Amino acid sequence: MHAPRSQNYLNATVGIRSWLLTTDHKRIALLYFAGITFFFLIGGIAATLIRLELITPQPDLGSPDFYNRLFTMHGIIMVWFFLIPSIPTTMGNFMIPLMIGARDLAFPRLNLLSWYLYIAGGLITIAALLLGGVDTGWTFYEPYSTFYATGYLILAVFGIFVAGFSSILTGLNFIVTVHKLRAPGMTWYRLPVFVWSTYATSLILVLATPVLAMTLLMLLAERVLHVGIFSPQLGGDPLLFQHMFWFYSHPAVYIMILPSMGVISEVVPCFSGKPLFGYYFVVWCSIAIAAIGFLVWGHHMFVAGMSLYASLAFSFLSYLVAVPSAIKVFNWVATMHEGWIRFDAPMLYAFGFIGLFTIGGLTGLMLAALAVDVHVTDTYFVVAHFHYIMVGGAVMGFFAGLHYWWPKISGRLYPDYWARFAAILAFFGFNLTFFPQFILGYLGMPRRYQSYPPEFQIWNVLSSAGASILAVGYALPLFYLAWSILKGPRASADPWGATGLEWTTSSPPPTENFPKIPTVIRPPYQYDQGVPCVQSKDG
Amino acid sequence: MAEETLGFQYSTLQQERETVTLGMWAFLATEVLFFGALIAAYFSYRIWFGAEFIAAAKMTKVALGTANTAVLLTSSACMAMAVTTHEAGSRRAPVLWLTATALLGLSFVVIKGTEWFLEYQEHLVPALNFDLARHGGVAEIFFIFYFCATGLHALHLLIGICLVCWLAFAIGTGRLKPGSTTRLIGLYWHFVDIVWIFLFPLIYLAGRNG
Amino acid sequence: MSAGTICRCWLALLILLALTTGSAFIPLGTANLFVSLGIAVTKALIVLLFFMELKTSSALVRVFAAAGFFWLMIMIALTTADYTHRTDQRVPLDQVR
Repeated sequence: MHAPRSQNYLNATVGIRSWLLTTDHKRIALLYFAGITFFFLIGGIAATLIRLELITPQPDLGSPDFYNRLFTMHGIIMVWFFLIPSIPTTMGNFMIPLMIGARDLAFPRLNLLSWYLYIAGGLITIAALLLGGVDTGWTFYEPYSTFYATGYLILAVFGIFVAGFSSILTGLNFIVTVHKLRAPGMTWYRLPVFVWSTYATSLILVLATPVLAMTLLMLLAERVLHVGIFSPQLGGDPLLFQHMFWFYSHPAVYIMILPSMGVISEVVPCFSGKPLFGYYFVVWCSIAIAAIGFLVWGHHMFVAGMSLYASLAFSFLSYLVAVPSAIKVFNWVATMHEGWIRFDAPMLYAFGFIGLFTIGGLTGLMLAALAVDVHVTDTYFVVAHFHYIMVGGAVMGFFAGLHYWWPKISGRLYPDYWARFAAILAFFGFNLTFFPQFILGYLGMPRRYQSYPPEFQIWNVLSSAGASILAVGYALPLFYLAWSILKGPRASADPWGATGLEWTTSSPPPTENFPKIPTVIRPPYQYDQGVPCVQSKDG
Repeated sequence: MAEETLGFQYSTLQQERETVTLGMWAFLATEVLFFGALIAAYFSYRIWFGAEFIAAAKMTKVALGTANTAVLLTSSACMAMAVTTHEAGSRRAPVLWLTATALLGLSFVVIKGTEWFLEYQEHLVPALNFDLARHGGVAEIFFIFYFCATGLHALHLLIGICLVCWLAFAIGTGRLKPGSTTRLIGLYWHFVDIVWIFLFPLIYLAGRNG
Repeated sequence: MSAGTICRCWLALLILLALTTGSAFIPLGTANLFVSLGIAVTKALIVLLFFMELKTSSALVRVFAAAGFFWLMIMIALTTADYTHRTDQRVPLDQVR
């Protein structure tokens, strides 16, 4: 006979209203999980159709206009409705209060509002896509988007505008929470790196997203009122739109990668049984990435007509921003050195992240060189670069965190060998998909083209083959994680032997997070010959 | 007055007070960047178009603009008085000061509306009746900025007026729970004033000589 | 924040307003822009420090208040760096249409 199940946040209250009107950060995290999984699926379907189309040089799956709408949909959904919210709203929401020893975020009702804004924005954008979509690319460059593009631009842009407020409010909530709700003894330098990374991400969310909001409003004004703000035929400068758009959208890519870096900083010490090497460097590099990331947006505009002086400045600053990222990679590797390495699934994803992020980062430096960029801009070289960072980096980090914290969130353990298999499959599938794209770009294949010269076909076929393997690697967790909820063994409070405060409470945690607010007495990642020493007094 | 209740996520009232204050300042920082983006675009065009852009500003109504600035600055002073008297424990004084604030805010909106009406009559409204042949494309872009900026500002002001009216009602009827609400709404109101403090010289004072 | 302080601030703000409008009509060339912006910054500081109580707030609150403006300066500086260094010839507008 089973012992009566203890009360936790999952079973504390029942009914749909208790979920849709919850202010519990853990339940809101699960609501977000549902949302981003749904949007990842939609974006993934678009990616599948793109890769199917590109197997042959000729158009196969419809008109060029249809293809334009396809990659636009892929970009919009993946950037704004999957990548940007992914880790902060799910793992950030769930773990930040636990990691700092708080009972919830500073503003729980604002947190729920953020979720509703996200869903509303997402539904509006999906409506636009179902009605026929947009063909401008996710970057909405002017004057094409305002004066010449057909399609449901206003609806799609409005959806993103609404979702932007979700981002802003979430970032605001995290910043204030980390400042004011830390448990006794939890000084800034005792915070886990995931908290620092989420804090840095939140700085970007709060300072960059409003600029996007204004840019989109001006775009809508131009489209709706037919007034020329950025349109040359009415005297405007299309480059001004690009300046304003990229002032947000470049920091946005740091919104996408910083949380993943935070996850890796949690996973690597745990599965190396050693403290994080260079903690102070890692945390200040997170802040540095966020800050310097605001200074490099012009590197998206090198060939657009920007002044040479500005191009030089942005090129130099783009080299600078790589330095803190590289420092972090060195620190993760140094953490592993002479450690007690365990090859569980989260660690395999972390390995994948470090390797693939390094390749993505190095190719970013190549693109920061003005002369090289002139040659490969708007080719598949750029596409491969950002997918190495976004997918090889950010998504791998997401899966690392998902597998690391799954026992804490669900209270169950997943089958280890299936998880490791999926991680390895995803790694191989990813490389087969995107490495050929570096070659394609170098050889000159432009991005966003439906048909291409036949000499590029072999690389496209390899890429599409890789995509099919990657798809399986991503689909597998759906199955074994679902299985774990129904049939998986129950997890203890600390199945991995990690040191953070989140591992001192039960799996799943009770609604109030801790029976008693802990007192913190030591920094994170303290291991004694591979044995964890938890941060709080009773550990 | 009822006792101030503590949110479950806080351990002291002081912590709650400091937290909500930080939250409001973080929100205001986002608004700085929101309006700031528009101002950055303004500066970019002011540099790029040069004299033509600055000359277009002469067509704004500087007397009404100056009067409006005085109205808004006074409303901020009234708001500050409302916050001070409410924190001192009074109930009647803050209601009076808040009413003054709201009335001044409404006056601002009325004067602004008058300006817009006059600009409509002078064929200066892009997308409606802007006289391109007479004023030129650069002036049109200036006026797009003008209407976007003053329109968004007016929207924020209207929201502020609603908040102030609600606050006056809540304090007057004794319904307001003790806490930081008055101070926080005050911060918002002052911020809307600051936006106008910067918009005023950029819109009204350019190209006034020469 | 006493009533006296508020009154003094209000008077200061109105005087600055008169100054800024007045100076706009004096031909100072590019200095006009800097004078009017300088006065705007002064007015904003009066509102921030006294009405919004930054003078008596904690350092953390002041950092939060400054952050938005600081970041805005970055955006304005780098964007205008492009526009002040453009060398391309602009086609006169009446030839564009």
